[in-house]
Amino acid sequence: MGAISAAGGDIAETLECFAAGRRNLGKVTLFASSLDYPVFEVRRPFVYSSKYKSRTIQLVLTALDEALAGAGLDRDMSGRRVGVCMGTTVASQLNDVDFYQSYRKEGAAGMEPVENFLKGNLAEVVSAELRATGPAVTVVNACSSSSDAIGVALSWIRNGICDLVIAGGGDELNRIPLCGFGSLSVFSHKPCRPYDRDREGLNLGEGAGVVILESERSARARGAVPGLFVAGYGAACDAHHLTAPRPDGSGLETAVRGSLAEAGVQPSEVCFVNAHGTATRDNDKVEGSVLARVFGTDAKVLSTKGYTGHTLGAAGALEAVFSALALREGWIPASAGFENKDDEIPIGAVRERTAITGQYAVSTSLAFGGNNASLVIGRCS
Amino acid sequence: MGIVFSRGRGIASLEQALQEGWVPPSEVEVRGLDSRLPVYPVSAETLTDKAVLAKARRADRFVRMSVLAASDAIQDSGLAGSLDKQRLGVIIATALGPHVTTFNFLDGIIDFGDAAVSPTAFSHSVHNAAASYVAMTLDVRGPTLTMTHFHFAFHDALLLARAWLDEKRCDSVLVGAVDELGTVMEYACGRMLKPAKDGRIKPFAFSLSPEAVPGEGSVFFLLTRETSGAAYAAVEPGDFTPGSFPAGSGLLLTDNSGMSGDESGYRVAVAGGMQAASYMPVFGSIMTGSAFQAAAGALVVKRQMRYACPVQDNPHCVNICSETVAGPVSNVLCLRLDCRGQGRTVRLMH
Repeated sequence: MGAISAAGGDIAETLECFAAGRRNLGKVTLFASSLDYPVFEVRRPFVYSSKYKSRTIQLVLTALDEALAGAGLDRDMSGRRVGVCMGTTVASQLNDVDFYQSYRKEGAAGMEPVENFLKGNLAEVVSAELRATGPAVTVVNACSSSSDAIGVALSWIRNGICDLVIAGGGDELNRIPLCGFGSLSVFSHKPCRPYDRDREGLNLGEGAGVVILESERSARARGAVPGLFVAGYGAACDAHHLTAPRPDGSGLETAVRGSLAEAGVQPSEVCFVNAHGTATRDNDKVEGSVLARVFGTDAKVLSTKGYTGHTLGAAGALEAVFSALALREGWIPASAGFENKDDEIPIGAVRERTAITGQYAVSTSLAFGGNNASLVIGRCS
Repeated sequence: MGIVFSRGRGIASLEQALQEGWVPPSEVEVRGLDSRLPVYPVSAETLTDKAVLAKARRADRFVRMSVLAASDAIQDSGLAGSLDKQRLGVIIATALGPHVTTFNFLDGIIDFGDAAVSPTAFSHSVHNAAASYVAMTLDVRGPTLTMTHFHFAFHDALLLARAWLDEKRCDSVLVGAVDELGTVMEYACGRMLKPAKDGRIKPFAFSLSPEAVPGEGSVFFLLTRETSGAAYAAVEPGDFTPGSFPAGSGLLLTDNSGMSGDESGYRVAVAGGMQAASYMPVFGSIMTGSAFQAAAGALVVKRQMRYACPVQDNPHCVNICSETVAGPVSNVLCLRLDCRGQGRTVRLMH
């Protein structure tokens, strides 16, 4: 596993940040904007390679290196059935303001931004870096992109399409989503407070999370001893609204129950839920109601967005990594920003670092377009 | 299947286009380009269907093309009344996404500033807006996924659909592709591609710098585990190893259309002697063009009809299909190569 976000440049730093309850929030420095909402920016210098212009690619390759090292794998994957499935939002769009402004004003523009865009498909880049020859897919499912990417990877492994899949996602802080989410009035001027009664909205963040999924046979063949696994994936569409979740949460409930059924896991076996928990009024209310219905009102729930902000296409992968880390380490951090339970939500979040002893965790994602995704992460007993 | 392309909407339009063959493209004046650009755009009239688009009234062309093709695919399947919408999935492949709306959103930033942009433009600029509208229109409650790749997005969409069906995640999957043309993309095409001055994509020229006629559209397939009476073909996505030669009595369709640079690799692929054709000159140059070619291939299999190549320039004397003839076609192999020589196939079987 590999992770980079405002919470830390790698897994060790991230765990330290979680343990300390630190929230690295501040003004955006990467670009100019008249919007002064606080953001979770990766401040650590991390330029991976001058070969790539895209910050998202730099973030993903940084997390990829950590994941490969942790799995004891080389960068050269040629000769193996290796797939790549990455989620993103920003990196999929040709949204260079300077390029477009130049074309609008002058009727001409340099083609370099377009060329960079055409060379910058996230999965294609990772696949080329690893000399992988399996399928390479960039999932663009808005905020559930990288949860879905991990779900796709699971399907590839289970169906024998690949022996090993590099899965995850990344997104950089960018002016376009800052303006876009700003126009939807979903930002908070303060540090976000997922699930809290007084929550005012989300903070934008950036980062990348990468996991390496491998078939048991492939892992055994190279002498690897996996400690964690993806046990199940569920996905369902609300078919309701482009930006708002279905009020009854039935799409999310289908996704969560589907992931549990696929994993063969009962809700009572799940020791915590890493919720999507954006800290918007709608998301937390709908999601909290669903989690209470499935897991009961005493379930341990947290949102790590209090440490990372909403990292959009990276969120699902980062949160899957954080969930797996918690299972491995035996504790979950306090759900940063949560103080007061909301009477409209039948479930609260954990207020302090909490020991966990179970074998399974669930990580949920909701997205524009009505996408709902749920991953069941397991720890080998 | 359902299709929206420059020659119209629906299977009848596709069949008519394959029977008629090549027609001259439109030519558009593009700001910043010295000469007019040949293009195959989808007409505005094609995208006016108030009944089907009732839930997409505020949506852009990218969404409208998708919703119409997806809805038509369901109708064409004859399964509309029996599909379990909870068990129906959607996978959409796109190379460039709804870039026209993305640029509209940038207009807002440039003209009005960061704090005064349109939330509607933003929410429609995300790649999965089309999948969302398809789901809302057809009440799809299963998994919906949008994926992007500049060469093999459609092939990977098929591969995933097959996996979803095999692992019983879904009973049926709507797999589609959509890409659009807009002013900025026309400018980029004019600068980065070699527009065909005579308006003809020449798939069998196998050129190092092939000519293109940018196109747009959407095509959807309803895939199920079981074969129904309305089925076109069995579908099998696969890999193509450079240097191997497709052989047999079927039909080889090459997906090259001037969008991916050097097309000389296709010359090796046709050396096996399998009769070849390419219907890309009917659709235009589209990054997800393999999906449109697969639709043509599916019709070949269903009708047991080899349609003549719409453009028959054939300097390398390939065994191409030069006239439309009825006769047995056991399988059609659609081949796509990328600029690195990697290849993917879609096999369609009777």
